[in-house]
Amino acid sequence: MIRPTRTTGGIAALALALTATALLLDNPAAALAAGSLCLFLFWRAWHFDRDFRTAAASLAVEREVDRVILRQGAEAHVRLTVDLAIPHGMEVRLRDVPPAVAAGEAPFCEPGRTAAYTIRLLAHGRTAFGGIVLSARDAYFSSDLLVRRFSAPSLRIFPVGTAEASGEKRAGISNTEVDRRSALEGPSVRGFRRYQVGDGLGRIDWKVSARRGALYVREMTGLESGIPLLVVDLPMRQENGPEFSERYTMVVCDAVERAMESREGCSLLIITGGEILRFLPWTENLREVLSALGEVAPAEPRVSLYRAPGPAVLAARARLRGGDGGREGTYLARLGGVLAAFAAESRSPFGAAVGKALDRVEATEVHLYTPLVRGDRSHLAQVTHQAKIRGMQVVLRAPAGWPVVIPGVDIMEVI
Amino acid sequence: MEADRRFLLLCGGEVLVVAAGNILAALVLQVIVLAAFLEDRRGYWVLVPAAVLYAAAIAASGHVLLTLLGLAAALGCGYLVLTLYDYRLTLWAGERA
Repeated sequence: MIRPTRTTGGIAALALALTATALLLDNPAAALAAGSLCLFLFWRAWHFDRDFRTAAASLAVEREVDRVILRQGAEAHVRLTVDLAIPHGMEVRLRDVPPAVAAGEAPFCEPGRTAAYTIRLLAHGRTAFGGIVLSARDAYFSSDLLVRRFSAPSLRIFPVGTAEASGEKRAGISNTEVDRRSALEGPSVRGFRRYQVGDGLGRIDWKVSARRGALYVREMTGLESGIPLLVVDLPMRQENGPEFSERYTMVVCDAVERAMESREGCSLLIITGGEILRFLPWTENLREVLSALGEVAPAEPRVSLYRAPGPAVLAARARLRGGDGGREGTYLARLGGVLAAFAAESRSPFGAAVGKALDRVEATEVHLYTPLVRGDRSHLAQVTHQAKIRGMQVVLRAPAGWPVVIPGVDIMEVI
Repeated sequence: MEADRRFLLLCGGEVLVVAAGNILAALVLQVIVLAAFLEDRRGYWVLVPAAVLYAAAIAASGHVLLTLLGLAAALGCGYLVLTLYDYRLTLWAGERA
């Protein structure tokens, strides 16, 4: 409902005084003055109400969120642009209403300008923005209106996983480390820090926590030192459906955000099969990285490296042995010999391109994200090979159920 | 402040209107005073006939209390209409896209 301003209150008080005068003195002129002031206020209220409805009807909202799928506790950056027809004599201010589960305050926004703010999503599930608060005032009245119809985009927040605590081995992807299965060169503990929401429960050091009376997590040298290159292998279109892709995207975006926060920048290489889709040698712009990730959709790889394996894959195949003996063992031993002979001569354009990309970044680690559980993994072997010959540490992050250990991978984590 | 100064001028103008004594002179003065008080006079012509009608009602009835009560009833109806409009606007705004 519309509210009177101080001026309106003064006019109403004046009308009341004139009414009292008219009644006490039986003065028609005072009655006319009082009535005219009341008519004046009603006319202004009508005018304001009409203008306010016009402004509300012309409201157009454009809201952009850098990520619509994110993890519980993660930050989302919102950009809001609002346009509307402002009636003459009316002041209008607008304010975004963040989702109910979000922490963060939206600033007031001037019509036609873009306001940017950050929210942190505290609860998991699907949620949406609460709308836009339209605040208008003129010299006599003011009013606020919550317009809920502008609630897009909806956000999807995944919970901070506790799979390890529950002991479940879930198929597909979750968003936490739940199983560090092997480490050819096991990472050592670099230090400890206080537990934060989102840390894997497996990283909690219970002895240190018990001594200090608060939860502390281990920081591994293999995971935290150096500058990482994030290599993202895109999911195939037909693989596991959109739910799988959304969760995978969320995991990757979360990793990018963490890398940017901890090192104020990162390098990104997006591949699908034996093809490089995007390469960002170094950027400090989180929006640019997320935009690059958002532009690429699950696709069918156009290039398969199964028949163009390159030296790394051939060398890996050459190391296969067929057991203790027998005809099959003899065959495999001979095949390994042949492959080993050709391994050095094999050329792979994909491997060469990855090698050039690795040369451009000053990375000491490669964080290789892949959604693949089955199918051709030759391209991952080539990426790993290129990283290893440059002395980089390779951390492979893959869904549960990864069947094969790729030669050269230092640390493997389940995502 | 500008608003306070205008309000003081309005108060002074209303004293003049009451002092005029004659209903016709009071009507003319009232229209002038309100026009001077307004910054934006667009749509002001809607108010003038309403004031003339009210002055005619006072002059015709010769009874101050009855005309004031009649005006209060009319404004009450107008307030109900405004409330209805406001309710419809709130319903429209509350709809989810």
